[in-house]
Amino acid sequence: MCNRCDHVLGPARDNYKKGCLLYDRDPREVHTPIVEGSFSFSPDPLWVRIVEFYCPQCGTQIETEYLPPGHPVTRDIEIDLDALKARLESSDLVIKDNRLEAGQ
Amino acid sequence: MPIPTLVEKLDWLKPAPPTDFETECVKGIRPGDYEIGVQTTNDILDEAMEIFVRSSRSYFGVSGDSMVAIFTAEGDLINASCGTYLHAIIQPIIIKFILKYYKENPGIHDGDIFYTNDALYGGIHNPDQVAIMPVFHEGQLIAWATAALHTTETGAIEPGGMPVSAKSRFEEGLNLPPIKIGENFKLRNDFVEFYSVYGLRAPAMFISDLRARCTTADRVRVRLLEQVEKRGVEFIVGLMRKMLEVAETGAFQKVKALPDGKFRSVVFNDAIGWTPALVRSCFLTLTKHGDRLTFDFTGTSPENPSSYNVHTQAVVGHIANFMYEYFFHDLPICSSTFAPIDFIFPDKIILNPDKLAATSCCVYIGMQCRCATHNCFAKMMFSTAEGWAQVASAPGSQHTAQICSGHSQWNLAVSDVLSFSLNTQGQGGRAANDGMDAYGFAWCAFGRAPDCEQVESELPLTVTLSQHWKDSSGPGLNRGGSGAVQQWMIHKVPEMLSLCMGNGSKIPLGQPLFGGYASAPIPGISVRKADLLQRMKSGDPTLALDHRSIFEQRDIKGDWTFELIARRPSMYREGDLLFGFSGGGPGYGDPLERPPKSVLEDMKKNIISAWTAENIYRVALDPEGRKLDASRTNEMRVAERKARLSRGKSYDEFMAEWSKKSPPQEILQWYGSWPDAKPIAPVFRP
Repeated sequence: MCNRCDHVLGPARDNYKKGCLLYDRDPREVHTPIVEGSFSFSPDPLWVRIVEFYCPQCGTQIETEYLPPGHPVTRDIEIDLDALKARLESSDLVIKDNRLEAGQ
Repeated sequence: MPIPTLVEKLDWLKPAPPTDFETECVKGIRPGDYEIGVQTTNDILDEAMEIFVRSSRSYFGVSGDSMVAIFTAEGDLINASCGTYLHAIIQPIIIKFILKYYKENPGIHDGDIFYTNDALYGGIHNPDQVAIMPVFHEGQLIAWATAALHTTETGAIEPGGMPVSAKSRFEEGLNLPPIKIGENFKLRNDFVEFYSVYGLRAPAMFISDLRARCTTADRVRVRLLEQVEKRGVEFIVGLMRKMLEVAETGAFQKVKALPDGKFRSVVFNDAIGWTPALVRSCFLTLTKHGDRLTFDFTGTSPENPSSYNVHTQAVVGHIANFMYEYFFHDLPICSSTFAPIDFIFPDKIILNPDKLAATSCCVYIGMQCRCATHNCFAKMMFSTAEGWAQVASAPGSQHTAQICSGHSQWNLAVSDVLSFSLNTQGQGGRAANDGMDAYGFAWCAFGRAPDCEQVESELPLTVTLSQHWKDSSGPGLNRGGSGAVQQWMIHKVPEMLSLCMGNGSKIPLGQPLFGGYASAPIPGISVRKADLLQRMKSGDPTLALDHRSIFEQRDIKGDWTFELIARRPSMYREGDLLFGFSGGGPGYGDPLERPPKSVLEDMKKNIISAWTAENIYRVALDPEGRKLDASRTNEMRVAERKARLSRGKSYDEFMAEWSKKSPPQEILQWYGSWPDAKPIAPVFRP
């Protein structure tokens, strides 16, 4: 779920990035060249791209990855939901102010 | 050969079980006495660190890139003064090696001084050298004291201690397995003579740093024995064991409180030695299960025939820098904090190379492991009440590691690294704040930039510009800290040899967090036959010293070169210019959410340009750049969000195009197979 607009990105067991809009950004559009040539203070767009992930409802930029062109997008978060549920049920963890805290 | 195996190294990172004597001693430690005892170890170590910094000669020593530490008799770290956390967790490997193999021959006696700088035996890389002294009381070994420091010369095939072109360990100069260099509290003359010839490029610095390590370790030993006399040996032994136990309990509690799961990050490097080359320098899968963490580096690029490889424990050292700066910030620097942590290093990857590998530039790869650790921990911690405020992007780690070698204006042989551009990197953007500007050294949290005057008095340079580097920080809701820039003019000598180590010219290093952007890459820049010295001599009133204007307008005339940051040795003449940069930190969060007034403030402080304010942060300012236009800012931000929704593609649509792309084949020479980075050919080394 997008924590800005509550849009549901997808099942919590799946990769949230599949529920985003993705864009292949030329890195020179963000890190603008200061001088001309191959070494210009800008990343080389043949070496690296910025993959931008947007919430499809509110357009918030949720994540960015600097990847060589064509490199697989990383599944960065894979929460063990069964363990999380069990720990919440046993009060090993509690939720306080929307955050996890060690229980008693 | 008893070179420690990977299994031995990983085993020796874990604290040894308590001896019966230690268990008995712990029972005698009363509340109150324990806290005072802990503080006493802090005081001993801080005093020793002060001596260390004041006794050292190399710029790394002067900058505090060092560590002083106390260990139990079994070789487990119980406290340290830093300096750098790089050595904190891994030095037990060296002491446990000495205990296992040297007890009978050459023996371990009161007054011995051991020494090593060989990464095969537990160090980082060979410029990092450590003096180790056993602490005996009435014939009983009760502790160890160490002093470690990076000295910027090793007698390698290039000056500066980190030979970029080394293809095997045999080209790295001094690589010294643990060896006894002193007896009866005196350095052996035959060792000093042997050692000296490796430091001929800079003998005063080389020998001074050796003696600084030894005198510092001995000061710790002396102070510990004073406490033994005052409080009894049982108290000191019990105190050290209890410090291990308390830290271990705290570490397990902190790990357990995290959500379980798998967290991944991938980072890349753009140079292998002098060669521009893409490698997947760290593919980290961090698994949290119960009260344990496992770092698995499967998927990282294979080893290569350059000095850009890292031995396994040096990877752990880089991770320790993150752990103690952030996750374990409230725990003591103690071996047992890593008791809940395991590591998986596949064979022959760049993070676990063959024993013949050169690793002198390992820090450029090792730092990428720290960067990946930042991102994995961020994804794991941001949902927790205790951890979210510790979430931060990786520090800026690209820098100009410029080496100066030759003869100084005093006709003294010198070979040293200019530390300013190392010790002024930007901190990564944080969950609750921006990263700090020019906060320090990504490898050494407490490193400090040396004074310009000191640099100018010892090296044939004049520092003609020292500023925050505009647009170096990664944009974001909370931006990364700014890096810095200096301009160095060769001065007061006819010529000087210089080369440069480093990475980060073609791609940014480290990933940003949660929608932020990374920091800017760094080219290598020099100006030969520059007119600056002449214009300064003549008092030219038109001379401006704003770094951005100098680059954009070429205010200084001469033969300008923009190239890869890592540069081969070359002679520079008096008046020639070199530029040194320290990287900014990557950003945290969507730049469109950054308060416009913060963007304006960044502009006023010269941290960002008007272009960045308008095109990245989408903030509208009046023509003078002094006042916000709130209405137009809102319009620009709404328009950009709409543009994102318009240009963004669904995952499947995006992947259909994206997966057909690849980088140019010629930059994948050392990457491994594309894209999964598996070995495709054996590595040949001289």
